[in-house]
Amino acid sequence: MGERGFHLEKEIIPVKFALVEKVLDLARANSLWPVTFGLACCAIEMMAAAMSRFDLDRFGAGVFRASPRQGDLMIVTGTVTKKMAPVLTTLYEQMPSPKWVIAMGNCAISGGPFVFEGQYNLVEGVDLLVPVDVYVPGCPPRPEALLEGFLKLEEKITGTRRFPRVESAW
Amino acid sequence: MVNGLIEEIKARVMGAEPVEVSYTEKGYHCALETSPDKLSGVVGFFDEKRFYLECLLCTDYTDYLELVYLFNTHLAPCRVKVALKIDPEHPVAPSIAAQYASAYWYEREIHEFYGVLFTGHPNMAYLFLHNGIDHYPMRKTKVPVPSEDQARLDSFKPGEEEDTFFINLGPQHPSTHGVLRVVLKMDGEYIERAEPVLGYLHRMHEKMAENRTYQQFLPNTGRMDYLGAMSFNLGYVLAVERLCAIPVPDRAKFVRIIATELNRICSHLLWVGAYLADLGALTPFLFVFDDREQILDVLEGVAGSRLTYCYFRFGGLYNDVDDEFIAGTRAFVKRMWSRFSLYEKLVTGNVIFINRTRGIGTIAKEQARKYGVSGPVLRSAGIACDLRKIESYSAYDGLEFDIPVGGHGDVLDTYKIRIAEMENSLRIIEQALAKLPGGPFMAEKVPKKLKPPRGDVYQVVETPRGELGIYIVSDESDGPFRMKWRVPSFSNLMIFPELAQGVLLADAVAILGSLDLVIPEIDR
Amino acid sequence: MVNDLLKLAGSDAGKMVIGLVGVLLFVVVNALLLTWAERKIAGHMQRRIGPKEVGPFGLIQPIADALKLLGKEILTPAKVDKPLYYLAPTLIFVPVLVSFIVIPFDASLQVADINVGILVILAFSSITILSILMAGWGSENKYSLIGAIRSVAQNIAYEIPMLLALLPVVMLANSLSLREIVEKQQGLWFVVIQPLAFIIYFIAGVAETNRTPFDLPEAESELVAGYHTEYSGMRFALFFLAEYTNIFIVSAIAATFFLGGYQGPVLPGIVWFLLKSYLLVFVIIWLRWTYPRVRFDQLLNFAWKGLIPLAFLNLLITGGLLKI
Repeated sequence: MGERGFHLEKEIIPVKFALVEKVLDLARANSLWPVTFGLACCAIEMMAAAMSRFDLDRFGAGVFRASPRQGDLMIVTGTVTKKMAPVLTTLYEQMPSPKWVIAMGNCAISGGPFVFEGQYNLVEGVDLLVPVDVYVPGCPPRPEALLEGFLKLEEKITGTRRFPRVESAW
Repeated sequence: MVNGLIEEIKARVMGAEPVEVSYTEKGYHCALETSPDKLSGVVGFFDEKRFYLECLLCTDYTDYLELVYLFNTHLAPCRVKVALKIDPEHPVAPSIAAQYASAYWYEREIHEFYGVLFTGHPNMAYLFLHNGIDHYPMRKTKVPVPSEDQARLDSFKPGEEEDTFFINLGPQHPSTHGVLRVVLKMDGEYIERAEPVLGYLHRMHEKMAENRTYQQFLPNTGRMDYLGAMSFNLGYVLAVERLCAIPVPDRAKFVRIIATELNRICSHLLWVGAYLADLGALTPFLFVFDDREQILDVLEGVAGSRLTYCYFRFGGLYNDVDDEFIAGTRAFVKRMWSRFSLYEKLVTGNVIFINRTRGIGTIAKEQARKYGVSGPVLRSAGIACDLRKIESYSAYDGLEFDIPVGGHGDVLDTYKIRIAEMENSLRIIEQALAKLPGGPFMAEKVPKKLKPPRGDVYQVVETPRGELGIYIVSDESDGPFRMKWRVPSFSNLMIFPELAQGVLLADAVAILGSLDLVIPEIDR
Repeated sequence: MVNDLLKLAGSDAGKMVIGLVGVLLFVVVNALLLTWAERKIAGHMQRRIGPKEVGPFGLIQPIADALKLLGKEILTPAKVDKPLYYLAPTLIFVPVLVSFIVIPFDASLQVADINVGILVILAFSSITILSILMAGWGSENKYSLIGAIRSVAQNIAYEIPMLLALLPVVMLANSLSLREIVEKQQGLWFVVIQPLAFIIYFIAGVAETNRTPFDLPEAESELVAGYHTEYSGMRFALFFLAEYTNIFIVSAIAATFFLGGYQGPVLPGIVWFLLKSYLLVFVIIWLRWTYPRVRFDQLLNFAWKGLIPLAFLNLLITGGLLKI
């Protein structure tokens, strides 16, 4: 991860129940409930991803929980300001493990278009506050991009990908 | 109207020297300089004449700070700019919050960004900024925040009394549609006092404008109000065109109208869905998104993005519309007309919906004026003020449409008005499509590097949420010296604490939703 | 050995054990099925598909959800009132299980035919309120507290019309036993004689289960998640389970009292019973995805000024006609 972000020590589990863990991981990957946490423009695209045309619920990820206690996944959709930073950290801490974070949009990744000399209110990337699992670039990313982010996260959890990868034409 | 007003000001207010200015060049009709001791007399005059305070802003000219009060009337445009110079070393000005409720927040904003202290203001607490800011961000020179101001940073510290308790609605709460925080003092389920706390999404647009050229700032407009991006885009483009006197070809004007109106429908649709989700009905939300996606497909074809458009350019458009766009728009208009009956059946005729929205959040005309609310919220109070008609910018004067107004000023009215506005937008689109002229879509000879003359302009447009005003000061460089955004949600939210007083929590959520707030626009 | 077991199974206590195990199994399967159905039905009502990728038609989806919730960190917020906080999700299950004991699934399929069956159900269903109040109070969260208070006011208000709507049926059937009530409907379902009572019962039932348009205790846009805001993982799953089981119970009682329970031609009784019950469950889900939420004062006014007088009137008329 380089200089930015977190170095998570590899977890040492004394006894590993291989099969149980695998089944649990599979269940987790197929039931990623996001916390309703819209920050800015990207939140609208996150909603669009959950709506009729794109339908996140197909992957079991459409249950948006308003309480962080019941969510598995925090999608940081938009600019994180210095005033918002402590709130965001609290929300993350309120979520029960195992939990994941998707940084959606350029603002959440690095501050995006709002970084300029003399800026006084921006956290330049949400990974300075909480560990991020998947980055979805775009300003804002299309709903398809968020879906791909979900697939990436599932792949990260289970080690296998849901759909065959489509090779980019470019 | 303007001449008569100038004479009257001269006669009534001692020592005032109002000057008439060219509306096409400046965007306001009359300018007036005053001094701190005469301010209350001037403001009193406008209050008596039933003007509303459109905007209150500050500009740092290094040698002096200038406060600008923009007054306007609702039904006939007569915009008066009142300027007040103050000393930057000891920036103190009299507060007008007692006369104009909308000044209450504007003065707080100026205080925290420029350090101007308003004498007589009831509560100079910080509204936007975070704890830990050590200078006034919008000043041209770095001015540290004095220690007594530091104490004001923690803008709202609730304490508990007997029989009441405090609820924090937000910043993460499903009904605030973003990161607005409202501190509610509750007595059981009833709200005693509501205090919005802003700034959780303050993205420094105004500061950024001073660091960018005119072209570089263009993409920011779409991100300020992501639901009405076209309107914000249009407002900014019009303002710069006015500043640099760039002509716009007719074709571009009409395409701008079509795109803006499509975007307006988009925004109103999303409001309908989100509002019903606030009231507990989730299905309409998905229905409106279905319609919305159709618009996005059409707009994406020409603008290249789904949400944060940057389609208009100074002097025209980014690219011309093609047959696909026109066919797509026609198809959408046809589809949308048939959808209204569905919403009528699903929502408008629903007894629970009517009972939830009728008679709550009632706004009186006088109240609307004092708070400077605009858009559908203002029209629900019965004031037929639509800037598309009154200031007829772009090519709106050649198009026929109605201004739907409400009779009660309650939340149900704002719903009906928005539905009627969508119908009118469809009418506008149909007419604009029929009238769409050929020719170039971009003015010739728009310089790459804009060097506008010294001076200021003001430009308003009617966004889906209400009146957007852009005030630009140029210092002959290729970027703005100062840019102030008078945003509709900000002034609409101001009225919320008064409307929420004494109502049930559920009603407060319904009222908050009816204002159609877009948080990045409030926080800028 | 086998004989001993059979003998034990034949005894009353044995029957009770087998019944309880059966009921537990049914509760879990029912809840899993209903969460799936709810999401699928909602999806189709909202011009989308709903769960689709996890298993055929997304049928494995609820199992994945349940496993995930099981595997979540057991999280106890620091400030909670621990005994209440821990006890509430467990306690909410007692009335749910007890109610199942007396519901006749078929002419011979009933854990115990208690001759005051309906009283058992109504008495135990009041415990639900207690556990919601415990959850709300114990969570030390203002949203939870408001949710709990709303829930109590709502449940007390709606239990009365619920009871008053069931009484005419008891008078008609001349019995408090659920099985006998079903038997009495051999020719004519009570819904034909008592349509008003059926409607009142159904509305009150929807309110009792805290479903839209009466979902005030967990009103998402006002109270985040209401009384279970602070619950996570398995404890939250228990509330979820109880909610869906309650929906089934309300529907099952409505089917038993008004729609002839397991009575029906051709198909076996249990199929009829489940068909009728799930039809009503579908209506409840349908309501949720159609209507907005009522306001608190409207909710109470509707119960005290609308439903209760109507139910009383209905009771009076029924009683009068029976006497004649």
